[in-house]
Amino acid sequence: MSVHYGDPQIAIGAVFAGLALVFGSAFLVIGIQAGSDVGFQRVHDVAYWLRKRWLALLVVIGVLVIGITLFDLPYASGGAAGRTVVKVTGGQFFWSLRPSRVPAGTRVRFDATSVDVNHGFGLYDPHGHLIGSVQAMPGYTNKLDLTLSEAGTYEIRCLEYCGVNHSTMESTFTVTRR
Amino acid sequence: MEAASATAPVAVWHPRAAAFAVEARAVERRIGLLFTATGVALVAAMGVLGLLMRLTQATVIGLSPAWFYRLMTLHGGGMITGTLLAMMGALWYVLNATVPLRTGRVLVSYTLTVAGALGVLVATLIGGFGAGWTFLPPLPFYPAGQWPLWSESLFLVGLLLIGVGFFVYCLDVLEQTTTRYGGLVRTLGWHFLRGRDAEAPPPQAIAATVVAIDGLLSMAAGTAIIAGLLSRTYDAKVGFDALVAKNLVYFFGHSIANLVIYLAAGALYVVLPRYAGRPYKTTKVFVAGWAGSLVFIATAYSHHLYMDFVQPTWAQVISEIASYGAVIPVAVITIYSMTMLIWGSRYRWTLASTLLYVGLAGWAIGGTGAVIDSLIPINFRLHNTVWVVAHFHTYLMLTVVLWALAFLAHLLERDAERAPARGARSAAVVLLLVGGYGLTGTWFLEGVLGVPRRYAIQPPGTSGYSLVGSAFALVFALGFAAVLAALAPLARTAWARRRELRLAGRGAATGLPARAGPPLATPGQLAFGAAVCVVCLAAFFPQIVHSSEASIRYHHLDHAAQFLLGTVLGLLLGSLPAVSARLGERSSSGLATAIGATTLMLLLMVPRFYEPLDRHPVAHGLYHVAMAALGLVTGLAASRLTPLGGRLAALLSVGTALMFAAAMKGG
Repeated sequence: MSVHYGDPQIAIGAVFAGLALVFGSAFLVIGIQAGSDVGFQRVHDVAYWLRKRWLALLVVIGVLVIGITLFDLPYASGGAAGRTVVKVTGGQFFWSLRPSRVPAGTRVRFDATSVDVNHGFGLYDPHGHLIGSVQAMPGYTNKLDLTLSEAGTYEIRCLEYCGVNHSTMESTFTVTRR
Repeated sequence: MEAASATAPVAVWHPRAAAFAVEARAVERRIGLLFTATGVALVAAMGVLGLLMRLTQATVIGLSPAWFYRLMTLHGGGMITGTLLAMMGALWYVLNATVPLRTGRVLVSYTLTVAGALGVLVATLIGGFGAGWTFLPPLPFYPAGQWPLWSESLFLVGLLLIGVGFFVYCLDVLEQTTTRYGGLVRTLGWHFLRGRDAEAPPPQAIAATVVAIDGLLSMAAGTAIIAGLLSRTYDAKVGFDALVAKNLVYFFGHSIANLVIYLAAGALYVVLPRYAGRPYKTTKVFVAGWAGSLVFIATAYSHHLYMDFVQPTWAQVISEIASYGAVIPVAVITIYSMTMLIWGSRYRWTLASTLLYVGLAGWAIGGTGAVIDSLIPINFRLHNTVWVVAHFHTYLMLTVVLWALAFLAHLLERDAERAPARGARSAAVVLLLVGGYGLTGTWFLEGVLGVPRRYAIQPPGTSGYSLVGSAFALVFALGFAAVLAALAPLARTAWARRRELRLAGRGAATGLPARAGPPLATPGQLAFGAAVCVVCLAAFFPQIVHSSEASIRYHHLDHAAQFLLGTVLGLLLGSLPAVSARLGERSSSGLATAIGATTLMLLLMVPRFYEPLDRHPVAHGLYHVAMAALGLVTGLAASRLTPLGGRLAALLSVGTALMFAAAMKGG
């Protein structure tokens, strides 16, 4: 199975491309203006006035964006009641999932751990979109809650470098129709 | 601003620069050239490895996964070392003109760093070590048949040498700046911020001090985890707490990679104004911004652990705030202020000044990609995809590497008194930008696609991106070669003028002794030291020792307390006038002894050495006394440094012992 562009990554990429374009254009304009002769006092006055607003803008954006993200943290909380627990074990270079299939719409809790080194449990939906990841660490169990509403074969890829066969450490997880 | 006294302008600089630019002496230019040239050479070699890896992902060539990961490990470690060297040299070049540093100390730092890089080279290319330069424990000990134990040990020793090299550099910078400006608080400009001082230290001194503090802290973490890994090579009972070990690895690895660009910023504040003809002065906003950077650089690292859900959520949120917070000073006081200096300045476009300018854009664009990835819900979708590779290459390739070339060009343009022709300059810069942004662009696209990073074999249907990326990488390599070709005639001219330059560059002696007073001087400090010693005596009580044997971690904490007792006792003794006079001014041997004794303490603190003593109470007791004795040696050695340097060295030694204890558990 191959990977494909998926939401929300496309939106993230578009926002980044837009910002990169804005910064690139700004540097082009400043570079062109660098050849002109403007008194430093004038530059100083205007730029310091603008710098205060630039600082305020960055602070406001930061408070808003970080505030919003706090409502969408991926960390599992509470017990596993009402969830189907899937034991995920990573090892060089395999994945073991028990159970390895659940019905569509199931609220799943992936309990991820490792028997040797650090691995990354990356879950790709049947369309090849990366829908989330969690680390599988030796000695710890990381708990990831997801609701898998779409039936099909989900692919698992390793998202933490774990040795020579890291790029072929794959497995699948099946979501059946109800 | 560089300093009050100025000299004749250099032909390639802005005419107005004569009013504020300080002419570098021969020693600064030589150290600058040594470091930047070595760094650029290392970056070039590592770049070739990067190209081979990308061509492998494009299936144009067929490196085996084993070789791919060897090269990946070397590429990462070598690039960090190369860029670190270049920026250490650039900052030293600008700082030494206002704050005399020790030339011998920086050469020791250079030697250790280069020796460490050679160790990494042999460990990977000959030994086959391929656990990545971030060597996440316990991966080095799970080679899957790919590397022998000696190569893993050599890699770690190499990395330790690089870390110690940077530690020596940072400690010297911190000792000299704080001595020059009257203590840490003044050096950071905080008195100026509060209106107590009329003047603040120059920007490069504040930046260098912040880098030095964060550098020392991260190197302490690096020493703790590397020593832990080394001890595992001769004691199979040593195991690791994967979460604590990962925190230490990234505190070390992320910070050192991050500090490279902050080192560069310190040099930028001096060099860029020479082409804009406008001085860059310390303001209150600048001081506040670098105070923020001091905290954010040290706390942002744990965004690497966002997907380790067992990391406490409060730590994840702090890391998210710090990662965003780190952007604000960079965006406001470095990138914005530098463009403000340039605007309407009749900027002198040379190869050096052009690379400096375009490098600012790389920091802005790469930093944007990084801050997007540092938001936890977004990281959930991008973690360890090639988006990460894309953003860090944007500010490493298109900022740090360009600045390494820029600082080298700056030194050569100055010595040759001319700049490369406009055509050659434009062609080289266009090739670098097209190649660089083309390459990182393919990675950003693949990141959106969800392609994992560090894949020797790409997921089906994605090798086309690698092919396009390889083509752009080749274009970047052409640009890099064009810069070197443009600089070669300048280097020849500079070489031909070396005697004349040496005579012209003679100035005041550098390397002024910085020691002034004992580490513990006031009655309060002495009383505090004595109190710590009394409390730490508890670490020798049989009941405490027996209780600590419940786990390796507690037992090592007990050893750390014994080491602390010795260290503080050493500081107290070293502060006594009679003892101090007897020991004399031994700053360099003091530093070497403090580093050596601390490392030895860590390497001895493993079950292999103390478990057989359990049946022999006297021998076991002597082992604990030895821990305190190593602390005593460390404390006495640290007392030979400046008061601040000595206290800090002692504190960091004890800190490494504590971090070591926290990361270790039974194997």
